[in-house]
Amino acid sequence: MTSIWRAREFSTLVILVLEVVFFTWYLWPESGGHPFLNVGNAMLILKYSSIYGIAAIGAAIVIITGGIDLASGAVIGLTSVVIGYFFVEAGWGLFPSAMMGLLVGLSAGLVSSWLIVGLKLPPFIATLGVMGIWRGVGFIITEARFYDLSARLPRNWTVAGVPIDWVPPIVMVVLVVVFQIVMKQFQWGRSIFAVGGNEMAALFSGVRVGLVKTTAYVSAGLLAATSGVVLAIVQGQGKADLANGYELDIIASAVVGGASLSGGRGSVAGAVLGALIFGVLRNALPQIPGATFYDRVIVGLAVIVIVVMDQVMVRKAR
Amino acid sequence: MTGIGLEFQDVSRSFGAVRALSGVSFSVASGDAHAVVGENGAGKSTLLKILAGIVRPDRGAIRLDGAVLDSASPREALEHGIGMVYQEMLAFPNLTVSGNIFAGREMTRSFGRLDEPAMRARTRELLERLHVPATPDTPMELLSTAHAQLIQVARALAFECRVLVLDEPTTSLTDAEVDHLFTVVTALRRTGVTVLFVSHRLPEVYRLCDRITVLRDGRYVDTFERATTSADDIVRAMVGREPPARSARAVPAAVGTPALTVRGLSRADVFHDVSFEVARGEVLGIFGLVGSGRTELLESLFGLEPLSAGSIMTNGRPMTATSAAEAVSAGLALVPEERQRQGLCFNLPIRDNLVLPTAATSGTQVIRRGAEQLAAQAQSDALAIRTPNLDVTPDALSGGNQQKIVIGKWLATKPSVLLLDEPTKGVDVGAKFEIHNLIRREADRGMACVMVSSDLPEVLALADRVLVMREGHVRGIVPGAGATEEQVMQLATHEVAAS
Repeated sequence: MTSIWRAREFSTLVILVLEVVFFTWYLWPESGGHPFLNVGNAMLILKYSSIYGIAAIGAAIVIITGGIDLASGAVIGLTSVVIGYFFVEAGWGLFPSAMMGLLVGLSAGLVSSWLIVGLKLPPFIATLGVMGIWRGVGFIITEARFYDLSARLPRNWTVAGVPIDWVPPIVMVVLVVVFQIVMKQFQWGRSIFAVGGNEMAALFSGVRVGLVKTTAYVSAGLLAATSGVVLAIVQGQGKADLANGYELDIIASAVVGGASLSGGRGSVAGAVLGALIFGVLRNALPQIPGATFYDRVIVGLAVIVIVVMDQVMVRKAR
Repeated sequence: MTGIGLEFQDVSRSFGAVRALSGVSFSVASGDAHAVVGENGAGKSTLLKILAGIVRPDRGAIRLDGAVLDSASPREALEHGIGMVYQEMLAFPNLTVSGNIFAGREMTRSFGRLDEPAMRARTRELLERLHVPATPDTPMELLSTAHAQLIQVARALAFECRVLVLDEPTTSLTDAEVDHLFTVVTALRRTGVTVLFVSHRLPEVYRLCDRITVLRDGRYVDTFERATTSADDIVRAMVGREPPARSARAVPAAVGTPALTVRGLSRADVFHDVSFEVARGEVLGIFGLVGSGRTELLESLFGLEPLSAGSIMTNGRPMTATSAAEAVSAGLALVPEERQRQGLCFNLPIRDNLVLPTAATSGTQVIRRGAEQLAAQAQSDALAIRTPNLDVTPDALSGGNQQKIVIGKWLATKPSVLLLDEPTKGVDVGAKFEIHNLIRREADRGMACVMVSSDLPEVLALADRVLVMREGHVRGIVPGAGATEEQVMQLATHEVAAS
C-alpha cells in the first residue's frame, strides 16, 4: 500500500516542482531581483495556500470515504464572521473568539454527518443545502456589514516568538503531518479507506461505518473552520461572503493531490501539495503580462491536465 | 447442419505480466452445445471477453462460420451474432423489460422516434417463446434473478444471435429455474443456435452439453466427448491432479454447552420462529431455496439487521448485537454471500483486508505494521492463499483465493461460531475442496460452523445436521449422514409428512 500512495504523492510533488521551475524560468528578470523566486513571495504563496491547504486536508478525508463536502467555503466564511462578532462586537480576546470559530466547524460537521448518516441523504445534496444555510447565517449575523479585525490586531505581532505570517504555513504543516500519520498508522485512517473502498464490506467487517463517516465530516468541518480562523486573521476581517466559491478550489486541491471522487483512494499530503500547486499558479499568473484575463481558464485547464498526468503516472507505476 | 461454427485459433492475451490466455485453439460445431470448463484463472473469462468484444486478443483470431470475427466492442459482437448471457446481472433495473431487451439498439421510426409498439410486440413474442411471465412494460427490478437472466437470452435472440454464450448462468438459480433455462436453451439449439456454456457445475455441463473443452492456466487442455468421459476425468483435466478424496468427518459432534443457541428468532416478513442450537465442533448446514430467508437469518444473527422477536445465546451468554462489531465481540464471524460486494475492500492490500475485522473491533487505534504483517502472513499460509505477496489488492487474485481471504479475515478474529453464507459460490473445483477441508479442520478444532449453501451435495457432505428452511420457516432438521438429496429437497420445496 505504502508504495502506491507514496507514488501518488510523489507524482503531485513532481508536478509542483516542475511548476516552480517553469515560472522561475519564464519570469526570469532582465536585471534585478527575481519577482517570483524570492523569500517574500514564497511566504506569500505559503500563507495564502495554507487557507486552501488546511481545508483540503478535510476535503481529502471526506472524499476518501466516498463522500463530498461542498460546505467548506461557507464554513470558512461563517467562521470569520463568528470570530469577528466575538472579537470586535463582544470585545473578547482573540483566542476565545477563535475557539468560537472552531465551534462553527464542529457544528457544521455534526449537521452534515447527521443528514448523511442519520437521514441517509446523498453527501452532495446534504452539503449543498448546508452550504447555503451557513452562508445565509453569516449574512444574518452581519446584516451585510463586515467586522474589521485588523484595527484590533496588533501590528507585527508574534505567536510564541514566531512572526504571525509564518503561523498559517506552520499550522498547515503540523496538521498535514498529524493527519498523514493518523491516516496511515491508525485504525481510524484505515477505516476511512475501507469505507470508501467498499462500504458494505466495511460494515460486514465490523467497521462502525456511521461513526467513521461522522468523524470524517466533523474533521472536515473543524479543518475548514481552522482555515476560517487563518483567513480572518490574514485578511483582518470577518465577512459573510468571504471564501466565496473556495469549496471547489479546495475539492480540486484534494483531487489534484490524488483523491478519487469514487472513494477509497487519496492522501492528505497530496491534497496539501495540490493546494500549493494552485497557490503557485494564482501567484505567478498575474505576474505574466497579458495573462490577467486568462488565469481562471489556465487554473481550470490545470485541474484537468494534472489529473490526467497523475493517472498516467499511476498507471505506469503499476 | 453440422460443420465448424465457431473456431478459436491460437488466441492469446496478456494483462501486464499475466498471461491470461496462451495459444488457445479449438472449434465448436455449428448447432452444438459446447461447454468450456476450468478453474478460476484458467482463462475462461478472458476468452469470453474476447468473444464479446470487451478485450481484443494480442494474437490469434476467432472465426464464425469461416469469417474472422473481430469485434472491437460488445455492440459489434452482438451485431456479428454473438449473444452473451452473463453471470452477474447486467440489466437496467430502472427500465422496463422491453427497454432492457432493446437497450442501445432501439427500434426507431422516422426522425429517430422510438418505435415503442414494435419493440413491445417483439418483446411479447420473445417472452412467450421463453415462457417468462412478464409483460413488456414490467419494470426490470420486479423480475426474479432467473427471469432477469432469461431477459438477457431474449436480448440475444432479439438480435438474431447465432452463438449464445452462457457464462455461469445458474449460480443463483434454483433447480426448477435451472430446468426452465435448460429447456429454453435446448429448444433454441433445435433452431440452429450454437451454445457455448461456461460453468463450474459439472452435472449441469453434463446435462446440457455434448462436448466439453477444458482450459487450465490459460492453455487449452483437451476437448472431451460427453458420452465417453466421466466427470472425474474432467476434474482431473481441470486441476491437473487427482481430486482429493471426499472424506466423511471422522469426529462426531461434541456435546456440552452449545456454542450457539437460537430461540424463536423472527424478523417481520422474512423469517419466523427459528430455533436451533449448534455444538462446539459441529457443522450445521442450512439449506433452502432462494427466498427462504437463509441469508437474512445469518445477517440478523450477525447484528446487521434488526430482529422482531427471539433470543440468541453464544456459549451460554445472551447476546443482543445491533452491529457487526458487537457480534464479533460475542465470538461470531460471518463470511458473507457476495465476496465482491460484502467481503473485500478492493482498494486495500490483501494484508489490510486480512486484518480488518480484527483491527476494527479490537478497540486499539494504533496500527502495528509488523504484527499485522505476521498475523496476515500466518492466515495466508494457513489458508494457502496463492498470491505473490500481501501488498497486492485482492482483484489480482482468482475468485477462489479471494474467498480464502474473506474466510481468513474472519478466522483471524478467532470466533467461536463461524457463519458461512455460500462459502464456495463461484469458486473453482480445487478451491472448493480446499474450503471444505478448511471448514472440517476448524470444526475439528472445536469451532461451531453454520453453513448456508444452495449446493445440496456440499451441504450433505459437510454438515453434521441439516436445517431446512422454506418461506422463512424451519421445515425440519435432519442428520447430515444418511439424509438423501430427495429428502432434503422435499422439505425445502413442499409440505410432506414429518419424517
